[in-house]
Amino acid sequence: MDFDLTEEQKDIKKAAREFCEKELTPELAIEFDKKEEFPIELYRKAAKLGFTSMRFPEEYDGQGYGILEDCLVTEEMCRVDPGLGVAIMSGTFALPDLVLTHGTEEQKEKYIPPLSRGEKVSAGAFTEPEHGSDLSLMDTTAIKKGDGWVINGDKQFITNAPVADSFCVLCQTSPDAKPTYRGESLFTVDKGTDGLDVTKLKDKMGIRSAITGAVSLSDVAVTKDNLLGELNKGFYYVLEFFDGSRIAVAAQAVGMAQGAFERAFRYAKERKQFGSPIIQFQGISFKLADMATKIQTARLLTHKAAWMFDQGKVDPMLTAMAKAYASRVAMEVTDEAIQVYGGYGYLADYHVERFHRCAKITEIYEGTTEMQKLTIMRYLLKRM
Amino acid sequence: MEIIVCIKHVPETAEADITIDESGKRIEVEDLVFDINEWDDYALEEAVQLKEKLGGSVTAMTVGSEEGDSTLRKCLARGADRAIRLTDKAFEGSDGYATAKILHRAIKELPYDLILTGAQAGDDGYAQVGVTLAELLGVPHATMVKKVEFSGDQARVNRELEGGLEAVIEMKLPALITIQTGINEPRYVSIMGIRKAKSKEIKVLGLKELGLKEDEVGKAGSWMTVERMFVPPVEKEVEILEGTSDEVTTKITDILRAKGLI
Amino acid sequence: MTELFVLAEHRQGEIRDVTFELLTKGKELAKKTSTDLTAIVLGHNAGNHAKRLADHAKRVLVIEDPRLENFNSEAYQMVLSQLISQRKPSLTLMGHTAFGVDLAPSLATELNLPLATDCVDLDFEGETLTVIRQVYGGKVNVKARVRKSEGYIVTIRPATFETEEGTPLGGKIVTIESPLSEDIEYKRFIEYVQPPAGEVDITAADSLIGIGRGIKDADNMPMMEELAATLGGVLVCSRPIVDKEWLPADRQVGTSGKTVKPKLYIAVGISGAFQHLTGMKNSDLIIAINKDPKAPIFRVADYGVVEDLFKIVPSLKSKISEAREAHT
Ligand SMILES: Cc1cc2nc3c(=O)[nH]c(=O)nc-3n(C[C@H](O)[C@H](O)[C@H](O)COP(=O)(O)OP(=O)(O)OC[C@H]3O[C@@H](n4cnc5c(N)ncnc54)[C@H](O)[C@@H]3O)c2cc1C
Ligand SMILES: Cc1cc2nc3c(=O)[nH]c(=O)nc-3n(C[C@H](O)[C@H](O)[C@H](O)COP(=O)(O)OP(=O)(O)OC[C@H]3O[C@@H](n4cnc5c(N)ncnc54)[C@H](O)[C@@H]3O)c2cc1C
Repeated sequence: MDFDLTEEQKDIKKAAREFCEKELTPELAIEFDKKEEFPIELYRKAAKLGFTSMRFPEEYDGQGYGILEDCLVTEEMCRVDPGLGVAIMSGTFALPDLVLTHGTEEQKEKYIPPLSRGEKVSAGAFTEPEHGSDLSLMDTTAIKKGDGWVINGDKQFITNAPVADSFCVLCQTSPDAKPTYRGESLFTVDKGTDGLDVTKLKDKMGIRSAITGAVSLSDVAVTKDNLLGELNKGFYYVLEFFDGSRIAVAAQAVGMAQGAFERAFRYAKERKQFGSPIIQFQGISFKLADMATKIQTARLLTHKAAWMFDQGKVDPMLTAMAKAYASRVAMEVTDEAIQVYGGYGYLADYHVERFHRCAKITEIYEGTTEMQKLTIMRYLLKRM
Repeated sequence: MEIIVCIKHVPETAEADITIDESGKRIEVEDLVFDINEWDDYALEEAVQLKEKLGGSVTAMTVGSEEGDSTLRKCLARGADRAIRLTDKAFEGSDGYATAKILHRAIKELPYDLILTGAQAGDDGYAQVGVTLAELLGVPHATMVKKVEFSGDQARVNRELEGGLEAVIEMKLPALITIQTGINEPRYVSIMGIRKAKSKEIKVLGLKELGLKEDEVGKAGSWMTVERMFVPPVEKEVEILEGTSDEVTTKITDILRAKGLI
Repeated sequence: MTELFVLAEHRQGEIRDVTFELLTKGKELAKKTSTDLTAIVLGHNAGNHAKRLADHAKRVLVIEDPRLENFNSEAYQMVLSQLISQRKPSLTLMGHTAFGVDLAPSLATELNLPLATDCVDLDFEGETLTVIRQVYGGKVNVKARVRKSEGYIVTIRPATFETEEGTPLGGKIVTIESPLSEDIEYKRFIEYVQPPAGEVDITAADSLIGIGRGIKDADNMPMMEELAATLGGVLVCSRPIVDKEWLPADRQVGTSGKTVKPKLYIAVGISGAFQHLTGMKNSDLIIAINKDPKAPIFRVADYGVVEDLFKIVPSLKSKISEAREAHT
């Protein structure tokens, strides 16, 4: 048994850290948090250095690593800034992963290399206004017409939607299928296709530079080349995709917690009250000890889930545990970080409040914490 | 062009809390973060840029312990083609002179047109290794260089003198140049670079392989022996302004007003 | 009698200050060790230099050669190695400058004489030469012993010793024939390049705000410019700020930049490496803001603030601006 990262993994972490510390400056973080825009320049810069294509194969201009290495980069990004970090690392969200596992060679050639190089941005459109945690029935339909399909419906909360070049959309193709999820299929839809319309969602609580939009599809005509994988397998593909992507969310949470913790730790050493640095008060120091312990635990769980995934031994229970636990830790640690800062922690200029606002998303997207617990229980009941 | 860059793995101390250890001859390095010496960072970048422009290869070389591998791997990831670490128990405690002797033995066996080092190291600040090495190799040198150009077998360099003045020097290759900060913009380590570095090995050479004797290196082969370290004395007794940020800035403003500066 | 050499440094017709600093220290050491203080000057038409040096040394050795007019380490090394081999001085001092750094290590190696570089003090303790050097960017001093030898070469940090004028020593000027026989082809001095003149003359300003790597990011430049503007001062900086191109080179303070002596110098996020201190430590009033209480800048400051600069600067700006308004 070996809990150490390899030298190569350490180098990856260090490279990401150097990039983030120089580029994801606190000023940019506040600026983008305020203006709610996708940091396209930073995304391109990060992509040029390979940070956003860690898990894509080399033949598609990716880096050929696994989810674990992807997580190491994600952690460093979110440690320096949770908003910019999530935004940059989500630029290649969902579509390339699904294309890689189920797409045709043409689809891979078309989509993945430009995403690897940071020339394009992708999105995954699953959630609908009426269907979030429960994706087993989609109101968005794709009806066969001639050789292709016509898509109609609305998608809600779609990361990158306002800037995405291509979407991967979950649609109901066989409304009469029993159970209904056996009638769902995935399609790629490119920006500029007639009938595709995006509106930006504003005033989010956190990760405000990872922009989100509502997508409306009205009579969007696609060809058979847009079908991803087999007809009526979409639901399964998406669940399987989440088994990997949820680990990345856990890594976001670990990074956010780490960043807030380090800030709080430094502050506690510097801030003096009653004649001594507040870190000398047990009430504060025990807090910091607990924060560090929780982060360490969350990281171990996340790395294990990632490692299992990379070994081809995906364990949905472990993934769910990692996501549920790490996201809770992120909430608790960022909350305590504000507490350590006292009143200053409540001000934007001291950054930890942003970490707290951002951390919340990790308990919601890609399956809420409650959904993770359902998964954990389902496996426990099976296994125990 | 065959280029050798000498690299040192040093602790980052500008913002760190430094304490002198029990021996009184060293600082505690346990909690310090080590990285490539600031000046060497620019030297490496210059070497890689020259290679990209003129072809050839870059070899990064360091004298030091195995810990230095992380810095050598960084060099490989940033474009060096090979790395050599010169390590031996006997090398410990080497000063700038002994270090140059070790480098000399390794380099004289290699083909090279150009050797780059940093103008100095941020830790012991000898600013000596490069020029000593040049003398041992019998090649011309130029220190604190801010610009390098080549024509034929000639290197034309701008040396930085005091007060921003520069001197242009021409040298015949092979030559050694010590690099001053600001000559270029060091690149980030890329993931592509890390992948490429995987297939490049770090060669390790010790006392025997280099044909050195124990008394030529380490403390025995050095000119300098550290007697003790201490915190430098103050030149002026500084008055530290205490209080909240608000109180402190009020005090500063009062001082400035009293001196008629506002 | 044994000699103690001080190597004079000159450039573009001027003897550099460090020479007189070394002669002052050299005089003290020569007295202590009962040796003769000899100034060495290599150059072309160096007569005037020799005359000035004669005030500060027992003897001045002049090596005249057009090939020595502008510094070329190879030519200097040839001359000096011969001179030192012949006269065997107990010690040769030169500045830890662009000149000394280019020359001393190769000269010492050729002669197999121990070299100590960048020293801020030196002394003979019995037969042993001991030196004090600053390491880790000036945060720690080292006292080191130099290996015993019949002669040593030491480079001294400029502006470490203060020049004492004292009574002229009326040293004897001796001209020695240059041993150089032909031009050195493999290393040639071509020309000097003057730094471009800046828009503002920072040496003429009364108030300077000096910023260093502590300001972290180019995005913080406007904040610092505003502080300088509010104070009616000029923004200057340490070297890394110029290396990153956040300010032009003519705003750099220090050995490779400008030496300033304003009425007020506020150092913000500058650690205080000697190359920077040399350029500003004689300012009338120095206020340093740095979050590291051990930063060397506090050793030359009159007032210090140990705090995160991002907490101090905005508040300071508004306080100064209030004070100015109240005044007018
Ligand atoms: C910023 C942001 C970005 C997003 N990005 C994307 C994206 O790129 N693509 C995409 O498809 N979606 C995206 N989403 C949508 C996200 O995945 C959903 O919000 C999430 O799955 C929850 O769905 P819902 O909002 O409809 O909540 P609901 O499903 O309505 O849940 C409401 C509450 O009920 C709980 N709940 C529901 N069912 C159960 C149950 N059986 N047992 C116990 N509790 C239950 C939930 O846990 C939650 O607490 C994003 C959301 C946000 C906020
Ligand atoms: C031949 C030669 C010539 C040189 N010439 C010059 C020269 O002319 N001028 C010059 O300046 N340098 C010169 N240098 C470089 C010099 O050695 C130092 O590297 C340089 O001065 C360091 O600059 P700095 O103090 O800005 O940075 P650092 O040494 O990195 O110091 C940064 C400081 O900022 C503080 N800090 C960080 N964050 C904060 C915060 N939030 N709040 C408060 N404080 C903070 C840190 O505690 C630290 O003390 C020269 C070097 C060589 C070799």
